[in-house]
Amino acid sequence: MKRGIAGRIAFNLLAWAVVSITAFPLIWMVITSVKPQFELFRIPPTFWPESVTFEHYVRLLTETPFLLYMRNSLVLSTATTVLVVAVATLGAHSLVRFRYRGREALARLVLFTYLLPSVVLLLPLYLMMVWLGVANSLLSLVIAYTTFALPYALWLLRSFMQGIPDDLEAAALVDGASRMEAFFDVILPQALPGIISTSLFTFILSWNEYLYALVLVNTDSARPLTTGVMSMLISAFNIEWSLLMAASVMMSLPLIIIFAFLQSYLTRGFGAGGVKG
Amino acid sequence: MGAKRAVVRTNPLDRKDALLGVMLIAPTVLIFCAVIVYPLVSALYLSMFRIFTPTLQGSFVGLGNYAELAASQEFWRSLLNTAVWTVLTLTLQIVFGIAAALMLNQAMVMRSLARSLILFPYFVSTVVAVLVWRWLFNDLYGILNHLAMWAGLLSMPLDWLGSMPNAMVSIVLVGAWKYFPFVVIAILARLQTIPEPLYEAARIDGAGAWSRFTDVTLPQLKEVLMVVILLRAIWDFKEFDLIYLLTGGGPVIATQTLPLMVYKEAFGLNDMGRASAVAVAMMLVMLSFMLLYLRVSRDGERK
Repeated sequence: MKRGIAGRIAFNLLAWAVVSITAFPLIWMVITSVKPQFELFRIPPTFWPESVTFEHYVRLLTETPFLLYMRNSLVLSTATTVLVVAVATLGAHSLVRFRYRGREALARLVLFTYLLPSVVLLLPLYLMMVWLGVANSLLSLVIAYTTFALPYALWLLRSFMQGIPDDLEAAALVDGASRMEAFFDVILPQALPGIISTSLFTFILSWNEYLYALVLVNTDSARPLTTGVMSMLISAFNIEWSLLMAASVMMSLPLIIIFAFLQSYLTRGFGAGGVKG
Repeated sequence: MGAKRAVVRTNPLDRKDALLGVMLIAPTVLIFCAVIVYPLVSALYLSMFRIFTPTLQGSFVGLGNYAELAASQEFWRSLLNTAVWTVLTLTLQIVFGIAAALMLNQAMVMRSLARSLILFPYFVSTVVAVLVWRWLFNDLYGILNHLAMWAGLLSMPLDWLGSMPNAMVSIVLVGAWKYFPFVVIAILARLQTIPEPLYEAARIDGAGAWSRFTDVTLPQLKEVLMVVILLRAIWDFKEFDLIYLLTGGGPVIATQTLPLMVYKEAFGLNDMGRASAVAVAMMLVMLSFMLLYLRVSRDGERK
């Protein structure tokens, strides 16, 4: 597109203004988290902190159960991701490379469950956990998280695997490999980027989940970050915003890491057409 | 269809390994039955009981819960709130999403950083988004009130979340901020595949920027927009976290949507049967969107 220099500068200024406004809440979160407590209550507020402090981060890690919540979230999200991606990789391979009765119906069912609202499954799952005697544990959350993570991972992996040409596996079979050998030697390496981005998305979904954690767990020992940090807000006598902003920043750390180092996998996942909100 | 069948006939992967295929999908099917199909059926069953949540003791009431809902003002109000929230926030998401995608598709300084910054709200936890926005909305020390007063838009700090219609406007805005990046990514991916000669031809015909957008870009985006609108409509309709954490459905029930009503009936009013009835009713409303999406995606796959 042909545009004069002045036009190009104007467009860049406008575009970056829009980006800054969109990103402002998150920038404000970081700024608030490093401001000394007294500076928050200035009227009018100061934009740049006059002095930068990490006292809120220190307090968060030493005086609150934040680290416990973080450990829970790490265990929970990792377990969910490993379980779901392992099962879904086999399942997606079956849906793409094998032909049997009911396969198409099953694929439809996966897509349907992918759209299903959590609140419908919430109450029966709650009763199920009580009956099984696993309520209030990380295990109950792993089970509950498979309800949205498995359909999601299956759908995403299915679209990745549909992109792998049939000929590759056929050639391996002609060379005398068995179906499972062909799966491990040919399909898996080809599907690896897809598996990585599916894992990242599944991890983020589990990391951010709130509703199941709210209903199924009410002890600190099994509480993940989402409900844990909210309980810090509710239980506080006077709300310490800088502490909460520090918690928000810490909670977003895995995301920042993924964004910084693994962003190509995220874009690939979007390209495959499966993104959940 | 004919071409597909021919491929099947020559494909060495044909039918003979069906048993192995079934074994590979078996874990998925088992888990599906245990944590999705069984709870789904169970929700229908529960909705026909009156169940006291703390003891889980219940008595059969048939379709009584549904009759009560049909006669309850709160249910219809919540349904209306859900519709208002979904339509408003979805509209903003689509409009901002298309605009931002068009912008990010142009050459600009540090474009990949700009893209990351735009995407970030979508990936951040709703809990984080809500905490940040509640701090921005804070009536005494929130930056939004100060900026608005400094700019002369407000003379008094505004109660963003505690009064109507502000509370609805606030959740709609935060919802739009959180979820418009989804639209951006989907549209941006499609924009990059529109062939440049289409624009060249339009330019030779003397089309301005706006008519190039309406005559070339929009028709090309039609299909992906359809999918994006349906998906976002489904997800916005069932949104719980964002609304529950921002307003809790308040003031009173002015921003209470159906998912919040399910939670309140089950754990605030301790009636799990009625809560299930609300959940099932909500799913029935959503079903039309879900079936439409299934159809659209099947058509897309056939092509």
